[in-house]
Amino acid sequence: MRLILHDLQPMHWYIAGIGIAGITLALLLLASRRLSVSSGFDDICSLVLASPYFRRTALLSGRSWRLPLLVGLILGGFLSALLGGGWEPTWALGIFDRAIGLGPGGKLAWMFGGGLLIGFGTRLAGGCTAGHGIFGMANFERPSIISTITFVLAGIVTTQVVYGLIFPVVGAQ
Amino acid sequence: MTVAYIALGTIFGFILSRSGAADYDFIQGMFLFTNLQLYGIIGVAVVVGAPGIWLLRRRGRTLLGAPLSIELKPLHRGNVAGSILFGVGWSICGMCPGPILVNIGEGKLYALAALAGALIGAGAFGSLYSRLQGVFALPPLSHEGHEFHEGRNSFNPS
Repeated sequence: MRLILHDLQPMHWYIAGIGIAGITLALLLLASRRLSVSSGFDDICSLVLASPYFRRTALLSGRSWRLPLLVGLILGGFLSALLGGGWEPTWALGIFDRAIGLGPGGKLAWMFGGGLLIGFGTRLAGGCTAGHGIFGMANFERPSIISTITFVLAGIVTTQVVYGLIFPVVGAQ
Repeated sequence: MTVAYIALGTIFGFILSRSGAADYDFIQGMFLFTNLQLYGIIGVAVVVGAPGIWLLRRRGRTLLGAPLSIELKPLHRGNVAGSILFGVGWSICGMCPGPILVNIGEGKLYALAALAGALIGAGAFGSLYSRLQGVFALPPLSHEGHEFHEGRNSFNPS
């Protein structure tokens, strides 16, 4: 199976896994930082919202490292596209295009709806795939183990309903 | 230090982009069990990360000699409820939070809508915190995480 991005061959999973573990450990060794991405959504919100939740010291003091990390994630994606065949804006969405086939407007609505669940859900859960799934699991934290099992199961059920029942796909691999 | 965080984020983003972790088809393949790449990535990251974290905790110091302390996440009803919502969103978008940003960097235009949704979702959560607190047994703001250790925050959301 190839990537949607320029039909590239993906790197091996164990190399990616070791690389992500390396980033996690580098953040911890460098400045006692816990790998987290979804907390960065709070940081961005705190730039414009003033409710007590967005005025916590822990949040405001984390901006100085979480916001640069988020900028880096965008840069990493940009460089990946650039070096992998050139950067260009695209609407390509793999099996979504084949099985569901909505146009740009439909995709924006679909993604916006999913994004709402991601933003609200990760903040309610206290973390995402990074903070709970990688760091929390690797640190054997109970809330993270419970959360990770739950969001993976919820993802499985949703995709099975969407692509298994409503828009069946053949050859998803 | 800012440059170091941007650099680490860039490497992280590049890996997410090239491994399939930020690819819609790979995420659906993971949830359909037709492609196990993502389970391998998360599994290796946890298996390699665990002894690393253990060793760094034993060392107890950062590279610059400051005390190493890990902010633990609280256990509450929101872990399960929030993760159900997040899992559904992860499947719908084919992206978790990091990959939303990676996809924007790659030039995937629809990812901008996922980011807009995620920020509004996070903003709604933070704005409703005092009302959600009782429902999900969320911790009081002034005792959350390392803010508690810093002891400088006296906010009470109610």
